[in-house]
Amino acid sequence: MNNYIIEMQGIKKSFGPNLVLKSVDFALKAGSIHALLGENGTGKSTLMNILSGILPCDEGEIIINGESRNMMIPGIADAMGIAFIHQELALINDLSVTENLFLGSEKKRGIFLDKKKMTEKSEEILARMNVNINPATLVCDLNASYKQIIEIGKALLKDAKVIIMDEPTTSLTDVEIGQVFRIMKTLKEQGVSMIFISHKLNEVIEICDSYTVMRDGEVVSKGEVTEETTEHMLAKHMVGKELSYNDIYKARDIGETVLELKALERSREFRNINLYVKKGEVIGVTGLLGDGRSELFETVFGIKGKYGGEIYVNGKLVKMTYTSLAQDLGISYVPRNRKENGIIKDLSVAENMSLPILKKLKKSGLINRKMEKEFNDNYVNNLNIKVSDLQNLITSLSGGNQQKVVLAKALGTNPQLVILDNPTQGVDIGAKLEIYSIIMKLAKQGVSFIILSSEAQEIFMTCDRTYVMFHGEIRGEFSRSEISEENIMCVATGGTLDNSINSYTEEMG
Amino acid sequence: MNVEKKLNVKKFISGNSALVALIFLFIITVMLNGSTFLNARNVLNIFLNNSIVGIIALGMTLIIITGGIDLSVGSQLAASGLIAISVLNATNNILLSILAAAAFGVLTGALTGVLIARFNIPPFIVTLGTMSIYRSVSQHFFNGGGIRVEGSAKDAFIAISNTKLGGTVSVIILYWLVLSVIIAIFASRTPTGRHIYAVGSNEKATLLSGINVNRIKIITYSISGLLVSMAAIIEAARLGSMNSASSGSSYEMDAIAAAVIGGTSMSGGRGKIIGTIFGALTLGIINNMMNLLGVPTFLVSAIKGLIIIVAVLLQTVLNKKE
Repeated sequence: MNNYIIEMQGIKKSFGPNLVLKSVDFALKAGSIHALLGENGTGKSTLMNILSGILPCDEGEIIINGESRNMMIPGIADAMGIAFIHQELALINDLSVTENLFLGSEKKRGIFLDKKKMTEKSEEILARMNVNINPATLVCDLNASYKQIIEIGKALLKDAKVIIMDEPTTSLTDVEIGQVFRIMKTLKEQGVSMIFISHKLNEVIEICDSYTVMRDGEVVSKGEVTEETTEHMLAKHMVGKELSYNDIYKARDIGETVLELKALERSREFRNINLYVKKGEVIGVTGLLGDGRSELFETVFGIKGKYGGEIYVNGKLVKMTYTSLAQDLGISYVPRNRKENGIIKDLSVAENMSLPILKKLKKSGLINRKMEKEFNDNYVNNLNIKVSDLQNLITSLSGGNQQKVVLAKALGTNPQLVILDNPTQGVDIGAKLEIYSIIMKLAKQGVSFIILSSEAQEIFMTCDRTYVMFHGEIRGEFSRSEISEENIMCVATGGTLDNSINSYTEEMG
Repeated sequence: MNVEKKLNVKKFISGNSALVALIFLFIITVMLNGSTFLNARNVLNIFLNNSIVGIIALGMTLIIITGGIDLSVGSQLAASGLIAISVLNATNNILLSILAAAAFGVLTGALTGVLIARFNIPPFIVTLGTMSIYRSVSQHFFNGGGIRVEGSAKDAFIAISNTKLGGTVSVIILYWLVLSVIIAIFASRTPTGRHIYAVGSNEKATLLSGINVNRIKIITYSISGLLVSMAAIIEAARLGSMNSASSGSSYEMDAIAAAVIGGTSMSGGRGKIIGTIFGALTLGIINNMMNLLGVPTFLVSAIKGLIIIVAVLLQTVLNKKE
């Protein structure tokens, strides 16, 4: 008798002619947090779908608590206490915490809802996670980390023993991630096991007890997370080759100011923003989620409408009230949340990529197919986008490749300035490094970049300079030599650094 | 090879379910009432009787692809037609009459577009409002009645719709086909056409791609308005009169039905003009079949409704399988 709660042995699965799982063994110890790692499309999700009974496997055995189980029996995943929290959270924003927790399994008294009982139970679940929120709060009023926490609560409500979490931290800031991790640790002490799927290796080392790395449908490495485990080592297993983080950043010639914001403000979203970016410069704007940076640059791009203060492009005062104007001025935008804001799901890969510049690809009023194809092929090659047929729907691509298409869209208009909001969200390490190299290459050719990100590492790897925001204000500015996780976190959480404030006020003259 | 072929057939069927439904209906009708149905005159009549709605459905398809809807097209048609005949009777100038109707169609379409795009009012609500307004104002000015084509330009105006090509094919069918080809090329081959699909599929992402979404919406409703006014001219010339109470009544439902049967997604982003043409013809065959089979008049709509639901159900099932 070992202490594995779950053992999957020799799992094979193919979709049509594609063998996606080639005899995978996977084991999870009771009361532990286990990382499941691998780049996009390596079979992690398929494996987890098989474990939670969403997909059948072709061959192999699933042993839960020492007993072989057929996970395809309806309801067995619930009965075995296996809960799967998907990347897209299944919460209804206009309902309360309690209503969301009990969605689909409402407690009733007669034909009416038993609100009292549900509220009590919700309070109990929240207390178990050590979370202090009112269960009557509407989900839309909560910040992103609580949404993840409510999903965990839903799993606990079903008395889950094993919780599978698919990239739970991608849309969270560091502070919020800390919150989720605290709850994960609390649950671990209560004997709940968790499978943690993530691309963020530092998190894996921080929170996980053991790991399994998959590549091309096979397990390539597994073991305990110990003092010796490093991000570098895990990344190497995932990618299958040596990776170098350090030589991404390259010093460049910096030119004239391209964009300057003076005392920019918009109602409660942000105030007194003074910022500039020069030709060929890569700057970061970082802080916690809800610090107003997305709203700030949506305003600069002309989405939000009215604002106070002044925006200068190439030294000229401009009024940014619609996005097509920003585009004419040579500014393009890669939005956060690819799925909602980046891709157009009913259009093909080709149609997505060429969307912003169709006007330049026409002859006598009609889209010229040859010119469109040339344009698309050029970007597929330059950005190394893996796509079998450009006429397939964009949704057929993996996350990293979708993001590259969104990037191609933004670059296609030959912009002088690209604003990237959370550019590597849900993108695996290989594609991430590729995206950074593309940024560096274009910056060398004179394109300016503004990178909005909560990841200090991302800022460090690419930026010449970074601004740090807190509650809608710029609270600090760091040159490349000053960029460090400590400095950024200190300012982003409302603290002050003497030197940063000094250099900031000097900048202001 | 065989598998690939099979996949292609399946893909074709689910991509052109309206055509499949049409062929299916065609076969049934031929089996039930072959000799009369297949009569060339009957076939031409099916095309002819659905040309007006077919033209309106072209604009409706574009609107539904943007994720919108237009309930006002029926009363917009009545108002356009009344304006066209009034101007004709007053000036005896056909060009002026057509221009007046077209101007009304484009302007009201643009206004609808502005209310929807700039002021963010749901299309259903805006056009529910304009539907009542066009109809009510028309009835007020014409006292609930209609107007006939009169004066020296009467014969020439009537000839717009009552000419037969080669002595057999009504020119109205030609109008429908030409407009269909133009709109189909517009939708699939021009930047604005592509943008219409993008807006309907993901408005925010389209906006963030630097595209003026408001402009696209206003253009779409204006095009629909223009098409409705053309349909109004054709209808007015065909009948020689227009009625403020009954003209165009329930055309919006037929136009929406044609688009939906043709595979246009009510949630926007998907749809084809060719599908809408098949959709309009499907509606036509249903009507025709009912007539030929002598289905009681009051039951015709019930059966029509049933067939619409089945046609869309068929698409949903086929799409899911894919």
